[in-house]
Amino acid sequence: MDIKSTTPFAGLFRTSPFKPVQQHMRLVFSCICYIPPLLDALYRKDYEQVKEFADEIIKLESEADEIKQAFRLTMPNTLLLPVDRKDLLNLISDQDSIADLAEDIAKVLLYRDMEVPDPLKGVLDELLEGTMEISVAAKDLIEQLDELLQVGFRGREQEKVSQMISGVRRSEHNIDTIIHRIKRTLFEHEQRLDPISVIFWYQLIDLLGGISDQAENVADRLLLFLSK
Amino acid sequence: MEIIASHGTIFVILAVVFGLFMTWGIGANDLANAMGTSVGSGAITIKRAIIIAIIFEFAGAVLAGGHVTGTIRSGIIDPASIINSPEILVFGMLASLLATAFWLMIASWKGWPVSTTHSIIGALVGFAIVGIGPEAVKWGKIGSVVASWVISPIMGGTISFLLVMSTRKLIFDTDQPLRNAKCYAPAYVFVVGFIISLVTLFKGLTHLNMDLTITQSFIVAIMFGLLTAFIGWLFIRRVKEDRAADRDFHFASAEKVFAPMMLFTACAMAFAHGSNDVANGIGPLAAVVSIISSGGDVMQTSPLPLWILLLGGGGIVLGLVTLGYRVMLTVGRKITELTPSRGFCAQLAAAATVVIASRTGLPVSTTHILVGAVLGVGLARGMGAIDLRVLLDIVISWLVTLPAGAFMAMFFYFTLKGIFS
Repeated sequence: MDIKSTTPFAGLFRTSPFKPVQQHMRLVFSCICYIPPLLDALYRKDYEQVKEFADEIIKLESEADEIKQAFRLTMPNTLLLPVDRKDLLNLISDQDSIADLAEDIAKVLLYRDMEVPDPLKGVLDELLEGTMEISVAAKDLIEQLDELLQVGFRGREQEKVSQMISGVRRSEHNIDTIIHRIKRTLFEHEQRLDPISVIFWYQLIDLLGGISDQAENVADRLLLFLSK
Repeated sequence: MEIIASHGTIFVILAVVFGLFMTWGIGANDLANAMGTSVGSGAITIKRAIIIAIIFEFAGAVLAGGHVTGTIRSGIIDPASIINSPEILVFGMLASLLATAFWLMIASWKGWPVSTTHSIIGALVGFAIVGIGPEAVKWGKIGSVVASWVISPIMGGTISFLLVMSTRKLIFDTDQPLRNAKCYAPAYVFVVGFIISLVTLFKGLTHLNMDLTITQSFIVAIMFGLLTAFIGWLFIRRVKEDRAADRDFHFASAEKVFAPMMLFTACAMAFAHGSNDVANGIGPLAAVVSIISSGGDVMQTSPLPLWILLLGGGGIVLGLVTLGYRVMLTVGRKITELTPSRGFCAQLAAAATVVIASRTGLPVSTTHILVGAVLGVGLARGMGAIDLRVLLDIVISWLVTLPAGAFMAMFFYFTLKGIFS
């Protein structure tokens, strides 16, 4: 006779939803990490390498997508969670759109052999640096979820995370001014550039700027956890 | 009367066999939840869990089980109207034992959620209705028992909620979680030893001819608490800071302090389980033995013989070592999500609630209280995810088990009556 446990006690325990969220964020972050080398290859006009890095980003993005899908399927509304279920689902979707932006950038560079206009280089590097900074900050925030859970999203840990969130906000503001400058620079030189290229440069700048906007959204989502 | 006189020995043997069968079922299944929490959090190995279970189940049954046994034996049914035909009560108690044992076995085979406590109460009521008459059931007492099934998980949940909050305030939400964990851990272990021993000692050992006053109970409980705190301190002292793990998870080292502490709650849990579930199982057996040994007196209130409590404990241990350890491993594997500090809070809350219920003679369900305690941790925003669908299963187990036990007891009652008279 096969003896099974007659009490549903063990069924009470579900794996923490924060683990897949963190795993997802790590993948998203890896996507972003490929963007500086991607543009560096573009500076050098090494289109072989551009393709290599772009493919890597697309691969990582689809891995992140799989985690997102699996996560959504394992979140029935009968779960007792320490945070709002909707906020959690929105958080992973915000994280996912960061990876989507990285993928869009990779695709533009896959389809078109672009050239970086010289006047743009200096300020573009600034933008890349800022984007990396804000991505690291967003990832660090998500890594704090375990600690937040341990103390019930209150106390010292809450203050620490609130400060980290303000940091992300400041970075985002900073990036906005960089984007303003890069667009001004592009405008000043657009007469001398190929018009179609200019259109795509505006698009690339917006996509890069989108990453910091989404990183700020991730931070704002986390703020909702703290204010429950 | 002549049935008792001519078949007395057979009845006692049957009661012993059925009682062993039933406690074996409890050990094979029910105990796994109580101990699985410790096994799951990695605090103790399966071997240690079995050794702890053997020692503390016996201790719980012998030291604190008498009140619950008394309730099952004479608190549910009023046998005044069958004073001249004690064999009815003997058949009924045997039928109740057999019904519960069979129901447990069927449920274990099918994997249905059931509670031993609820099925034995259901069986007793079922037999009393057909065997004596609905007026023989002490409905008031049944009401308070059923109320305790609702109140006890809430109480377990409230205690665990407060315990989780206290660990945050004192340990985790501080500048030095590890130092504070080491500092407060012996105090928590003291609470485990103190509460369990105080509840047990305070006028609870009459059946062992030990009647302590309030002051004496307090002094002994404090001493016992200090002893457990000291043993706890010996374990906790050896916990080292793990900087690598702390980088990954800020509270990793502080959590490690709670792992040896779960050893104590595992003991408390086994003790609590012994005090209530073992006592439930042997209640009908005790009733049969006392009727036979007094020559057919259904109203007598002779003290509970110690060998019956030992037999109950033995049956549980037998169930545990034959099948229960496997169930315990399965349960343990599924609850790895419970970190040592949360497992500690949930188990301490559950054990304290069960022992208090045992002391007041209320037959409660250890598993349901543990579920309540885990929910308490969840409500304190202390767990990743708890699946509330399980609550529905639990309510179903309450509702299904009562009539199932009742109908099976009726069936066995008429069968036994047909065989012997």
